[in-house]
Amino acid sequence: MLRVLALAVVVLLGIAPEPSQAISIYTGWERHALVGSDIRLSCSFFSWRFVSDDVSFTWIYRPDGSRETVSIAHYAGGEAYTDNKGRFKDRVEFVGNPKRRDGSILIKNLDFSDNGTFTCDAKNPPDIVGRPSSVRLLVFENLPIQAGVITGAIIGVVLGLLVLIVVIYYLMRFLVARRVFSLSVSKHGKKKKEGSQQRQLWTPPPLTCYPLP
Amino acid sequence: MLILIGLSILHLATIILLLVATIDNAWWVTEGMSTDVWARWILQNGAWNYTDLPDLPSYPSDYLQAVQATSVLACIFSIIGIFVFIAQLFTLPKGQRFTISGVFQILACLFIMIAASIYTDRFHINDKGNYGHSYILAWIAFGLTFISSVVYFVLRKK
Repeated sequence: MLRVLALAVVVLLGIAPEPSQAISIYTGWERHALVGSDIRLSCSFFSWRFVSDDVSFTWIYRPDGSRETVSIAHYAGGEAYTDNKGRFKDRVEFVGNPKRRDGSILIKNLDFSDNGTFTCDAKNPPDIVGRPSSVRLLVFENLPIQAGVITGAIIGVVLGLLVLIVVIYYLMRFLVARRVFSLSVSKHGKKKKEGSQQRQLWTPPPLTCYPLP
Repeated sequence: MLILIGLSILHLATIILLLVATIDNAWWVTEGMSTDVWARWILQNGAWNYTDLPDLPSYPSDYLQAVQATSVLACIFSIIGIFVFIAQLFTLPKGQRFTISGVFQILACLFIMIAASIYTDRFHINDKGNYGHSYILAWIAFGLTFISSVVYFVLRKK
């Protein structure tokens, strides 16, 4: 009976008209990189439907300070297409796994002119209504210290040491107490054996009677 | 009894001084600027604006983060210290000293000293201006935490 019910629920969910859930696309917010290095821009999506064979990813680049956009990578119908004419020629590679909802790209040999916003648009037909997500790329000559890293590191290390010292102290006390306890138990056991041999020699204390008032 | 109350008040006073020194952005003040370990207040057109501190290489922001961390740690140790002191009041056997509370206070003293020393050595070496109230309170807190920890190390529970 329960199995029939479960099967019915699954079938109903499968054929019922889908509530209008949009596809949700996730990329990073901001990425920092050094000149000359490679960077992997990740893009993944969430969709209520299974990954279809027509899943597609599109990456669009908008340079800093410009309003014009240009497509640099596209994946559709099982094939990945990358920029072969523009500024990212031969530098972009599609490294995602669309079957696992991953549409990441790898950009090689970064330059200062690559500063800008990269937008990922994913479509999982028939789930195509979604908001593309953007990640901002910042290319540095020297990676700046991110705000608060040193602060957090110092505080974390000192408090960690404090916790460690307290834990070790209580552990030592516990272990020492256990050893002392086991030692005293063995001593007490020996004493008990000797005590039983001497019991015949033990006489009860004399009863003292008090005269009634 | 009176000593204990006095000691608690001293400890609370050091906590308050440490918190003000850490939170208030006033380690260095000039006529139109009050700056510190977290941000900078700039007087523009009669209104104080909250702005970010400058970054490397003009301003040693890595040492700034060390000052931030050590002053926060001083506050944390002092606050833990007061709770430990209250716990020790009830659990310590007679005749024993308040060593652990003393240890926390001396750690707070050490850390605020490190914070203030780094700030004195690395910041505003050639600038015009004065040290602000947070900086002064940091040094006063250093002295008071030192006195407090010495008293904890010497005092015996009756």
